[in-house]
Amino acid sequence: MSQVFHTKEFANGLTLVSEPIADVASSAITISLPAGVRFDPEGRAGSASVLAEWSFRGAGGRDTRGLNDALDALGCQHHENVSSRHIVFSATQLGRNLPAVLEIFADILRRPALDDKTFAPSLDLIRQDLDALEDEPSRKAMMQLREKFYPHPLGRGIYGSAESLAVLSAEGLRQHAAACMSPAGAIVSVAGDFDWDRLDGLVGEHLGDWSVSAPTAGETRPPARGITHIPKDSAQAHIALAHATVTVSHEQYYAARLAATVLSGGMSSRLFTEVREKRGLVYHVSTSYHSLKDHAGMFTYAGAAPAKAQETLEVTVGELRRVSEDLTEAELDKAKTQLKSSLVMRGESTAARAGAISADWYHLKRLRSLAEIARDVDAVKVEDVKAHLQQWPARDFVMLVIGPEPLDTSCLTL
Amino acid sequence: MEFKNTTLSNGLTVIAEVNPSAKSMAAGFFAKTGSRDETDEIAGVSHFLEHMMFKGTDRRGALEVNLEFDELGASYNAFTSEENTVYFAGVLPEFQTAMLDLLGDLLRPALRQEDFDMEKGVILDEIARYEDQPTFKMYERLMASHFRGHPLSRNVLGTPDSINALKRDDMQQYFDRRYSPGNVTLIGVGNIDWDAFVAKAGDTCSHWKPFDADRTLSPCGGSGLRIAVTDRKVNREHIGIMSPAPAAQDDSRFAAQLLSTIVGDSTGSRLYYALIDPAIADEAHTAYDMLDGTGGFLTFISTDPQRASQALEIALDEFKKIMDAGFSDAELQAAKNKIASAATLKGELPMGRLTAVGFDWVYRKEYMPLARQIETLFSVTADEVMTVAREFDLTKVTVLALGPLEEI
Repeated sequence: MSQVFHTKEFANGLTLVSEPIADVASSAITISLPAGVRFDPEGRAGSASVLAEWSFRGAGGRDTRGLNDALDALGCQHHENVSSRHIVFSATQLGRNLPAVLEIFADILRRPALDDKTFAPSLDLIRQDLDALEDEPSRKAMMQLREKFYPHPLGRGIYGSAESLAVLSAEGLRQHAAACMSPAGAIVSVAGDFDWDRLDGLVGEHLGDWSVSAPTAGETRPPARGITHIPKDSAQAHIALAHATVTVSHEQYYAARLAATVLSGGMSSRLFTEVREKRGLVYHVSTSYHSLKDHAGMFTYAGAAPAKAQETLEVTVGELRRVSEDLTEAELDKAKTQLKSSLVMRGESTAARAGAISADWYHLKRLRSLAEIARDVDAVKVEDVKAHLQQWPARDFVMLVIGPEPLDTSCLTL
Repeated sequence: MEFKNTTLSNGLTVIAEVNPSAKSMAAGFFAKTGSRDETDEIAGVSHFLEHMMFKGTDRRGALEVNLEFDELGASYNAFTSEENTVYFAGVLPEFQTAMLDLLGDLLRPALRQEDFDMEKGVILDEIARYEDQPTFKMYERLMASHFRGHPLSRNVLGTPDSINALKRDDMQQYFDRRYSPGNVTLIGVGNIDWDAFVAKAGDTCSHWKPFDADRTLSPCGGSGLRIAVTDRKVNREHIGIMSPAPAAQDDSRFAAQLLSTIVGDSTGSRLYYALIDPAIADEAHTAYDMLDGTGGFLTFISTDPQRASQALEIALDEFKKIMDAGFSDAELQAAKNKIASAATLKGELPMGRLTAVGFDWVYRKEYMPLARQIETLFSVTADEVMTVAREFDLTKVTVLALGPLEEI
């Protein structure tokens, strides 16, 4: 399978990365701006989320309805997300509609209306999203865990708090937008049915002369860490654990990804087998790899009935550790097959490819082909994974539990 | 792309949409059975059985099953609904035969007592997990209310009581009653070697003995009740609205899909502008649920308790406005573009096509290529959409609210 990539770095700091894909009718675009939650001013967390919502309330002379109708007419499915570093606008549509969609997004980026009258409902929606977290304890547990694990403010909850949202103002947020909605460090990624020369020309035309200096990333502070219990009269205890691992750009990255697959990839993985299949302790247990530019973690979640929560914690931690001692050749081979297979199957989605090449550029400043990844995965040996796990052991956990009772956490420090 | 089909001598239908340019293939066994085919005593048995299918057969133990799937690098899962239980896997083409050997074998499970006893705890854990998800609880109660007195009122997971009381023999009897080869379809999509697919299906499934497995269909107009379920542990008010809609067999299902998009799509719909844009609700969307011999329009709204009644009245008002005054041509066109776009995207993945091809066959014994689906969609007229709105009456609603409120 031959993959082709085209990339271009513009003078204003914006990078365009792309992957044409044959035999598809769709195209997917993601636009990542250096305006994520880590740039929210201190005391005004939630700014990025409100801004992402507010940006779609009119742009380039169109009001909310005009903007919405223009995108709907093009059959464009779009989402706005906030991550640590970025506000990400993503859109999928038929390939032939990409040029028109791009033109509309250029308006959103460069000429958003950000009117006073649409500020209040935008803020209200984010406040409601924050409220809704109380009814999603597993999601709340993982979000708050991230906040305690990563240096502040890299892991901040994207909705902020009731207090921080209450002090946001239309004018303040406009100033914030002027500072962070910048092409400097922005990544535009496109995958699917498109013509490179035309895309290059369009991006140059609509975004090439967009000039805003890069936002300043403030200093980070050490994370809060610790062991937290949030009491809730819930049917399950929601257990969330994090421990440190290597970033995407690290030479042991593939060892870490393979370890995660051995632990949590599929129904024969260690966690599923030991915690669920053999002991019936949970319906859901999993661990997943997550990386920012300079920090990364293995994030583990288990939802257990309160009476089984203690044993669930102990067995889960035991399994996270045991693999560094007795990982087998057969397990590693299986993990390699799983990882490579899932890369190919996910690669059939234009949206997934657009996201993957954007992440590659952000972490590595280059794009990796599936063939290259397969080679690097295959090159990892059992001793490499064990060595990695010994250097980055399942210790020094940050933990958070939402449920009726706190747990005995002495197993974390054994 | 090419459509292939055959039927084994025992009545198992095997169909495939063969796409040689896909990078993977996916296969699924679609069993036409679900919670509506149970009785209250064995409520939850279809879903519990779905779990037990992965616990092994005479040839394979539970841990071996899991290991084999993972060694194939498969992406696999199963789901149970009110009407269907589907077991599926996606693999790279070179693993087609090995995957089908495994998947086909699973469909005649051993149902070992010790596996049954262990998995019962997992089912109870799954029920507990959904206890902590108010939107899901609201949906279960909405279905129970709307379909009161009808088999579709029964929820898929069962209750802790019904699951605790369930015996392994009850499950075996249910399996023996429902999993006839004539009541199951094997679907394949993607980069498939058709001859090998059929040959392997024959090897693995020809010994399944045929028997009758029927389903009684009865109409349901919906109870029309308005109920508030009070739970002060829940933070927001979760509101469900349901009204009758065309069945999966109905020609007007395309018009129904367009109607639900115009009314309540997540962007640019009536509910979007009436509720999300002014932030009266942070979620408000309408979906069209096609069922066997019946159907439903479902609307979900999430809002602050103090604005819940207002949000509900606004939604009902929007339904009435559509029925009284219709919609613009621009709205219809936008709905067509959005649905066509979404279907095209989904269709680029074998796993995305699997359920589309599968349910077209299960419900209508029909194969419709994506291009023809999109053509049909675009040929639907405004009159046809309005006919659905009026004939089915969008205002004939069952309402179920779950949250701190005592009434809605």
